[in-house]
Amino acid sequence: MNIARTLFALVAAVALVSPSRAQEDVNDASEKAMKAAMARVAPFVAKIETSGGQEVVGAAPGAGGPQAGVRKGVGPTTGLVVAPDGYVISSSFNFANKPTDIFVSVPGKPRLVAKVVATDQTRMLTLLKVDVKGLAVPVAVPKSEIRVGQWSLALGRALDTDLKDVPALSVSVGIVSATGRIYGKAIQSDAKVSPVNYGGPLAAIDGRVYGVLVPASPRGETETAGVEWYDSGIGFAIPLEDVYAVLPKLLAGQNLKRGLMGITAKVQEDPYNAPALIGAVSRASAAEKAGIFAGDTVVAIDGKPVANFSQVQHALGPKYSGDVLAVKVLRDGKEVEFKGVTLTEAVTSFAAPFLGILPLRDDPDPGVEVRYVYPKGPADAAGIKPGDRLMKLAPEGTPAAQAAPIAGRESLTAMVNSLAAGTEVKFTVKRKEGGKTETLSVKLGTPSDDIATALPLPSSAGRALEAPRAEKPKGKVPVAAKPADDEKPAAKDDKKKDEPETGLLQRSNPTLGREYWVYVPDNYTKDVAHGVIVWLHRARPVAKEGDDLARIFGRFCADHHFILVGPKSRNAEGWVPSETEEVVGDLRAVIAEYTVDKRRVVAHGMGVGGQMAFYLGFNARDLIRGVAVTGSVLGTQPKEPVPGQPLTFFIVGGEQDPLVKEIAEAKPRLTEKKYPVVYRQLKEFGKEYLLDTTLEELKAWLDSLDKI
Amino acid sequence: MNRLLLTAFALALGALSLAASDPFSKTADDVNTRTVKLFGSGGFRGVANYGTGVIVSPDGHILTLASQMLDTSELIVHLYDGRRLKATVVATEPELDVALLKVKIEGKKPDEPTGLDLPFFDVPAAAKRPLSTPGDWVLAHANEFEIAMRDEPVSVQRGVIASYSKLSGRKGIFDFGFTGNVYVVDAITNNPGAGGGALTDRQGRLLGLVGRELRNSLTETWINYAVPIGASVEFRDGDKVTAVSIPEFVASAMAGKYKTRPRTVATAGPGGYHGIVFVPNVLERTPPYVEECEPNSPAAKAGLRPNDLVSFVDGEPVVSIKAFTDVLRKARPGATVRLEVRRGDVLQAVEIKLEDAPKPAVAPKK
Repeated sequence: MNIARTLFALVAAVALVSPSRAQEDVNDASEKAMKAAMARVAPFVAKIETSGGQEVVGAAPGAGGPQAGVRKGVGPTTGLVVAPDGYVISSSFNFANKPTDIFVSVPGKPRLVAKVVATDQTRMLTLLKVDVKGLAVPVAVPKSEIRVGQWSLALGRALDTDLKDVPALSVSVGIVSATGRIYGKAIQSDAKVSPVNYGGPLAAIDGRVYGVLVPASPRGETETAGVEWYDSGIGFAIPLEDVYAVLPKLLAGQNLKRGLMGITAKVQEDPYNAPALIGAVSRASAAEKAGIFAGDTVVAIDGKPVANFSQVQHALGPKYSGDVLAVKVLRDGKEVEFKGVTLTEAVTSFAAPFLGILPLRDDPDPGVEVRYVYPKGPADAAGIKPGDRLMKLAPEGTPAAQAAPIAGRESLTAMVNSLAAGTEVKFTVKRKEGGKTETLSVKLGTPSDDIATALPLPSSAGRALEAPRAEKPKGKVPVAAKPADDEKPAAKDDKKKDEPETGLLQRSNPTLGREYWVYVPDNYTKDVAHGVIVWLHRARPVAKEGDDLARIFGRFCADHHFILVGPKSRNAEGWVPSETEEVVGDLRAVIAEYTVDKRRVVAHGMGVGGQMAFYLGFNARDLIRGVAVTGSVLGTQPKEPVPGQPLTFFIVGGEQDPLVKEIAEAKPRLTEKKYPVVYRQLKEFGKEYLLDTTLEELKAWLDSLDKI
Repeated sequence: MNRLLLTAFALALGALSLAASDPFSKTADDVNTRTVKLFGSGGFRGVANYGTGVIVSPDGHILTLASQMLDTSELIVHLYDGRRLKATVVATEPELDVALLKVKIEGKKPDEPTGLDLPFFDVPAAAKRPLSTPGDWVLAHANEFEIAMRDEPVSVQRGVIASYSKLSGRKGIFDFGFTGNVYVVDAITNNPGAGGGALTDRQGRLLGLVGRELRNSLTETWINYAVPIGASVEFRDGDKVTAVSIPEFVASAMAGKYKTRPRTVATAGPGGYHGIVFVPNVLERTPPYVEECEPNSPAAKAGLRPNDLVSFVDGEPVVSIKAFTDVLRKARPGATVRLEVRRGDVLQAVEIKLEDAPKPAVAPKK
């Protein structure tokens, strides 16, 4: 009697969704269900009030640009009871303005003075405690039960009524839009989520709670990241199940931080289709301690397969410092599993090791020819001279026979970077003087912030520089080992046909709606790799700015082989963080068209443009090697250095600039993270562009980005 | 067996169609006939020269917001059926942020009947109905973004009542005048031109007028609100306090009796004397910590102590010394204010009876 049973079930099911009374339609039913859910959750929703604090949060001084900040309202905010003894969790956004005092009112209890117990810095949650006992706590919807399309109610206490017969709750209705958002940390809902309900519950229609409402963004990790999406239909909640899982730690007063493994992806053409190949392992990191090497490919984390680095990031995203993982890698075609990989809070920053030379560029021959030796640097101390060719390298103690051959500039850089500062190494050097081959010992040091001005030209190997230049370069006599005459290029006219355009060029990409200008020096040839200076304009794009920059840098670009790129912000107020990807898109288009030296790609700007340059530097790590700013404040917390992706800074502040103190702060903050920083403070100087002396230093700095 | 199957299906289908019946479209059509599109002055510097109104009498009275769009002699009304009529302002009440208009027929005097017989909202009846509460489905009907012209219907948006609470609005740097209770809606309803539109329940019953584009200073977000149709405000005329509600305003204005009063400037008197000396006000939001109380002052008599943090005044939070001063300025000598002060880790209630300010020699420090 299977059919009968099915039929019965069908009729019963329909009867359930359609009430017997004809006038009660689906909207009446849903309204009742919503109000019932609100009534069930209401006892857990606390009201939070504060005193003191700042007006604007998350702002860099000298507002504008990507760090303009958010005004913090003066009204109450929301929290959710999570433990019976007066523990209330809330969004850290509600305390981002650093109030001096916090008061919490739990429904049915008097208003009480609250203390901050702990914060979860990965999910931007703050746990508060008030002196009250015996509170009821909400039931979490298990993550396994959460499905896209389920009803969701965002509840808050910011707009409380003062009437007795109206529920003291605000509500917005939506559905679950997605799960596993923000690197697996959040549920997404289309209910209106905003400061009206941050810290409150995202409730299910049955009165259980999905999670705690927070502002969140995949692009930022600060308390205010994602606030710009308020009321947009894109709102986030941290699953309550996850909150309960870490609650014992929070209750114990432990601040929770992100867990890092210390691996960096190998830069690949199409990272989404390439396996998760490790490009570098940070020193003293979880991965290094576990025995994971650069060159290993991550294939599974905690038994869950990962196909690319993005999936690795999603697997690691929700993890806390102290979490223990099992990581399976592919090494030499074999799977190796590392159990007990304990994630750390921060990857300890190490200064990059320094040999003290500038290599000659675009040199196809084996070894690296020394273009310049930094005075008093390690190479100088060891007696290495310009024109010498470094052929082999062996760490101290390794037999000379096992010395590794140096293929070229990239290979030498990678070899040196894999060693610690202070390591003794032996170089096999082919001397310029006398042509003899010798072995020299060098003790690697750390880079100084001295800028060597008047660097010798040419900077590239003679054979790459075809036609004789219109003017003789200034500075010292060229040190190219091989006379350029040896390999004169073929007919100049033939070359012209397949060389890309030069000069000041306006570019646009109609599909992406992008517009930018490019300046390519007239002596451009695809045999010489060019550095790229990305100029980020001030608040608004300035007409003819390309001409101005071409005038300032034109000669330098020709002599030292640089291309200028000037992207334009699409935001009337100036740069916003979300434009990073579009700027990177412009940059990639230039890289695809011209021969680019990836060690000399720089973000440069002044004022708000410089803030964007900082932002670009930290968020396009695989591309940007230097950030040069003038009159710009470092607004965000600097990110950790990444091995194999060096980043160096050149910062100028004017003493007449009211923001000079804030600008100068960038140096200690970056130096603390072991980034090389040059800071110049100019007297009698406000917000203008650079003075000649500083400009010369900037040019020298730009030309020495590939120092080893 | 077959018959059983058919019956079951019929049952199921009947029930399904019942469950899926959706009254929104009927409501939208009905409300649209009682809603007008307005065109007036503006159109520059981001000020919309169009708006929405609701018809409140068969004779062509229209209720809308008291916006600058009405500052014109050429106010144009588009009815739901495409008729284009002129209108004049009968009266405005800036404290309630409402205005009453009347359709003008060529050749007829303003107080003569227009001869129209329009569908309308019964304002007194609407004001008598119980309040809507958070979680009620609502519809907003308005000519936002000037999408509708002539006989095109106004736009309808669905949402729920998010809350019923005091408006703490801000227009640029200026605090918004109306501070009574409003319906906050969880749909993005307050767009250019939407002001004066109808907020109704699912049956099309009028709940309020869609408000302006304001920022909520409590949360620093744009707020989507409607002024409840029963809203009222109080006026202080010397020591006399009178109140006027929207239904009263509409009735009085229709009878030609309502006197549009000039906008009352908030009486920013010196306030009552309390005698609290706060810590120096040097931060953006300096918390109101008591430094000392002047001898024999109301604060000293009430037992306020140095280091007490004044956190709430009559239940309202005061986040800074400035907020405290703003609240106290409205209180008069002789009035009693209830403070909650943080002393150590507890909140302590303290009542202060304000006095006349002492002689200038011992004037309270600012």
